[in-house]
Amino acid sequence: MPLDTSIYALSHLRLDGRRWNELRRIHAQISTQAAADGSSYLEMGNTKVICTVSGPAEVRRGAAGGVQDEKAGIIVEVGIAGFSGIERKKRGRGDKRIAEMQATISSAFSSTLFTHLYPRSTITITISILSQDGSLLAACLNAATLALIDAGIPMSDYIVSCTSGAIPSYSRTDPDKELVDPLLDLNGQEELELPWLTVGTLGAGERISVCVMETKVRVERLESMLAVGVDGCKQVREILDAVVRRRGKRVLESVVR
Amino acid sequence: MTSLKRSLATDPHASNISSKVFVRSTKSGKVQKIVRELYLRQDIPCSSKLCSACLANVPADANGNETLFVLSEKPAGTKAFPTGHYLVPDTNALLNGMDLFEQSSGFYDVIILQTVLEELRNRSLPLYNRLLGLTKSEYKHYYVFFNDFRLETYVVREKNETINDRNDRAVRKAVSWYQEHLQQAVKSSGRSKNVPAVVMLSDDRANLQKANADRINACPLAEYVSGLDDADRLLDMINTSRQGHEARTNVSEQIYPEYITLSKMMTGIRAGTLHQGVFSVSPYNYLEGSVHVPAFEKSLLILGRESSNRAVSGDIVVVEVLPKPQWKTPSTKIVEEETLNKDENADVEEGEGEAVVTEQERRALQEQVKKTHGSNVEGRPQPTARIVGVIKRNWRQYVGHVDGSSSSMSQKNRRQQTVFLIPMDKRIPKIRLHTRQAEELLGKRVLVTIDSWDRDSRYPVGHFVRTLGEVESKGAETEALLLEYDVQYRPFAKGVLDCLPREGHDWKVPASLYDPGWRDRRDLRDLLICSIDPVGCQDIDDALHARPLPNGNFEVGVHIADVSHFVRPNNAMDAEASIRGTTVYLVDKRIDMLPTLLGTDLCSLKPYVERYAFSTIWELTPDADIVSSTFTKSVIRSREAFSYEQAQLRIDDPSQTDPLTQGMRALLSLSRKLHQKRMDAGALNLASPEVRVQSESETSDPIDVKTKELLATNSLVEEFMLLANISVARKIHTAFPQTALLRRHTAPPATNFEALATQLSVKRGLTLRTESSAALASSLDTCIDAREPFFNTLVRILATRCMMSAEYFCSGTHAYADFRHYGLASDIYTHFTSPIRRYADLVAHRQLAAAINYSPLDAGSLQSKSRLESVCKNINVRHRNAQLAGRASVEFYVGQALKGRVTEEEGFVMKVFENGCVVFVPRFGIEGLVRLREMRVDGGLEPEGEFDAEEYVLNVNLGGGKGRRIELFGKVRVRIRDEKDEGTGKRKVRVELVG
Ligand SMILES: [Zn+2]
Repeated sequence: MPLDTSIYALSHLRLDGRRWNELRRIHAQISTQAAADGSSYLEMGNTKVICTVSGPAEVRRGAAGGVQDEKAGIIVEVGIAGFSGIERKKRGRGDKRIAEMQATISSAFSSTLFTHLYPRSTITITISILSQDGSLLAACLNAATLALIDAGIPMSDYIVSCTSGAIPSYSRTDPDKELVDPLLDLNGQEELELPWLTVGTLGAGERISVCVMETKVRVERLESMLAVGVDGCKQVREILDAVVRRRGKRVLESVVR
Repeated sequence: MTSLKRSLATDPHASNISSKVFVRSTKSGKVQKIVRELYLRQDIPCSSKLCSACLANVPADANGNETLFVLSEKPAGTKAFPTGHYLVPDTNALLNGMDLFEQSSGFYDVIILQTVLEELRNRSLPLYNRLLGLTKSEYKHYYVFFNDFRLETYVVREKNETINDRNDRAVRKAVSWYQEHLQQAVKSSGRSKNVPAVVMLSDDRANLQKANADRINACPLAEYVSGLDDADRLLDMINTSRQGHEARTNVSEQIYPEYITLSKMMTGIRAGTLHQGVFSVSPYNYLEGSVHVPAFEKSLLILGRESSNRAVSGDIVVVEVLPKPQWKTPSTKIVEEETLNKDENADVEEGEGEAVVTEQERRALQEQVKKTHGSNVEGRPQPTARIVGVIKRNWRQYVGHVDGSSSSMSQKNRRQQTVFLIPMDKRIPKIRLHTRQAEELLGKRVLVTIDSWDRDSRYPVGHFVRTLGEVESKGAETEALLLEYDVQYRPFAKGVLDCLPREGHDWKVPASLYDPGWRDRRDLRDLLICSIDPVGCQDIDDALHARPLPNGNFEVGVHIADVSHFVRPNNAMDAEASIRGTTVYLVDKRIDMLPTLLGTDLCSLKPYVERYAFSTIWELTPDADIVSSTFTKSVIRSREAFSYEQAQLRIDDPSQTDPLTQGMRALLSLSRKLHQKRMDAGALNLASPEVRVQSESETSDPIDVKTKELLATNSLVEEFMLLANISVARKIHTAFPQTALLRRHTAPPATNFEALATQLSVKRGLTLRTESSAALASSLDTCIDAREPFFNTLVRILATRCMMSAEYFCSGTHAYADFRHYGLASDIYTHFTSPIRRYADLVAHRQLAAAINYSPLDAGSLQSKSRLESVCKNINVRHRNAQLAGRASVEFYVGQALKGRVTEEEGFVMKVFENGCVVFVPRFGIEGLVRLREMRVDGGLEPEGEFDAEEYVLNVNLGGGKGRRIELFGKVRVRIRDEKDEGTGKRKVRVELVG
């Protein structure tokens, strides 16, 4: 059994060998499913998600869904595979956590997608979670961004996201001072033990479009956690940028050829 | 569809990522497969001051703190390693020789590998914690090298390789990496310096052989130690059981049954055929143990060595209940190992025809089986069980003395001998010890550890840790007592003292109201506050005030030392206090939880100076009903520090009419009403001076022996402390329903009182009603003997022993109904009023501060249920140990006071056995065992005893037509003197019946 997070003070290394400000390996692909309008596959460490986007599709008259007429509605469906967690567990449709994630993702994208271009239609984002190891919401947001780009839906800018947390740490020179190190990109085990939040930013600036926290944390720690999270988003953005560009290049090449 | 397979080849970092896969089974029996990522890196420093390459990429935390390098430039060496060495112990070396590593005479500059640290943690949590302590010590130069995170030293487990082999390989790999790395470092520095050797210490033969093949320095622990000065003493400290084990393989010589496997135990427990519980041994009969399990109302009896199957008192064991015909009555006989198995030769090798049960023990057991077919409760057979496995050993270090008769002392050579160590704790079996210094150990108090207890050895095997000093010398006995009760008595470490305010004794409440210290503090300096404590009290936790309000009500305040202002969560001082858990009071010594600067000065609510406080203020009606309560941080200035006597005199003196005295009178009158209310609700009043030493009082110091006479002012303080504790408990529970630290006292099950109730009805025709605390309280009041005023106290002492002990708990772990404090008859309770000397109170202070939005709760400790639970678990143990240590200290001092004197006292029979009785001596608050064999006349034979279990009478035939009758609750004259046991060299208080 590995050591618990209390060892951090000794090693300044996290359970998986990372330092406080390091992301896990991010691996992403675009257009993974030819049949979908847009699709992506994304790994943040051992968290693995597939995302497909269909639409914008016009709503048939009389269909339910409360779609506003002048804008496209964004429907998000998150499915968590039974084998994705440590314990095999079936999650029903009514699962509160899933419903919250769906709502968060939907509202985040409704502010960045140009939904007014598609009145009386819906954009459906379907996310399947294949493996869970922390930063689930962040991975979903990132995967959705990629799939939406793939689908060619106009947007003002990307949303990128990651998590940050706080871990007790001690200063050798001033033991009276209680120190807290912010942590970037939490894995599943860290999420269980530490306070953490998910932050999503829009564009290259530091505009925060998503901030979700389910644990309690002292107010004065929030600032450094947010700062690390925003910094992490920048790194994520660079990685996703590269993925998009690589894909664009390949598309161009195939067209030219 | 595109392939979603991870394309590791294209990823530049891929070679640095590895996965750890392991399988674990949960409590509910499910099997989980866990996959974890591992990021390997090259920036983990070697931490040697010789190396400049690593210095370039030392890790820093987010606050820019860099880790300091700890391994010396010129480490110490031995003859074999003249250029100096860094030691790298493997897990076995630490398991066998942790005591060595803690020596100050050697074992400096040690590299602890992550692999070893993790393995040690799985094998032994106490040793792991001791090792962590070493790594924090500044002068020992211990460095934890995270080899499993460093690319060059990470080792992948191969197919068909056991985890042990993989770990051994990882250790060797790290050692060889260090060797090369240091050579490189010295070379590149350009200066011709000696390269220290990197030496692996191991007790694993295979590992040593492979190390030789790998051309790395490796050495068995014993061989390394023999090269040091003082080798004889150090060699004794190695756990030898493991090496010895390999030598003996003959299976036919096993004398104890084998333990069943863990999975079998788990299946059995789930199926209800086996039961789990804590094994405890009777203090009167070392061959009789018991295990309380949830499935049985009465404890299961474990009779004899074979059934107890190598369990030591305190172990968590799994038992199998024996068939009903084998159920027995609990013993009515005193059986002591010391007298039964005297003069055994410890040198007789284990297995050479050694029987589990000695002939003497067999006889003792048989006699016991001649059971009395009585009709009373104690005569009814109880379920018996045998131990089939041990879930967790709770072995600690034990203090004892070497049995002088156990080995031939004449041998002058330094050959290793085997001797018996007789632990001070009678419930612990004697321990076989291999030593080269037998002669020096005679007559000393010795600290030892149990290493193992194999099937082929009648007694456990242990090793020497250190000598405390001469038996009976005050220093050695006090230290022995502290060690036996696991009291942390060492001086506070520098890291802890560094957390104290820099101003030291000159610290003052800031004069400016704009100072951050004044934030959200109420200025209560105008209030006429005073403290009332025992004479000479220095650590004043609490102070009080009362003043009339215009509406006829009273404003009453309880002001508690604001310790949480000085002790910040999670710093070194907080960590130390949480481990100590409580201040321990011995007769002549106090072992503080917090450094004295805080305890007796800065926190202490001393008179005439301004102090920070945490105040609870109520508006009370003249009938002591609460109108409102408020909690606030404050600044107070106590007007006077009274002793209970002074306060009483002042209140009773009609000429005193100043507002302070008036306030105290108001407090007194309100406290009487509060007291009455609690009594009406059914609170138990067990307070009488004699019981105070014996039982647990919720507010006063554990040993308050001086409080001979209880004054009204004692009760005054107690009532308001209880009120404050209850009010705070409600407040923090409302704010943190899941994580409030509370204290509860469960109602004792009716069966606990069965024996006492029967005894009272048989001997005195009295009825003890136990259905509620109120019923018990009132029926205890009726237990009086007109001729014998002490009888009531005796009954109260016995009743106290039937009760459960109160415990700290985390509110989320129990239903509200189970929060109840039985003794106080309150639905909720906590400890708030003594933060200087109890850690629980300090936690309650932090929680209350958060509840009133004064300061936020710290992230790590106080909002995590599991962290809080482990805090509770520790302070419960510490609290109990502190009480036991206090009592043992009283006993020791009574013994010292009696040295060389013989006194006659009045005593009362508390318990009757078929070969003796227990007598309580009120004058000293001690109880003594009187054995039948001590009643013999002038060296004659042990007198015959006729035991009537139903009437609790032992008739002793003293020969020559003389006899005497020993009766339960009977008053006897006893002669008390101290006596030196020739065999063991131990001095004991001996109680004898007089004429
Ligand atoms: Zn180095």
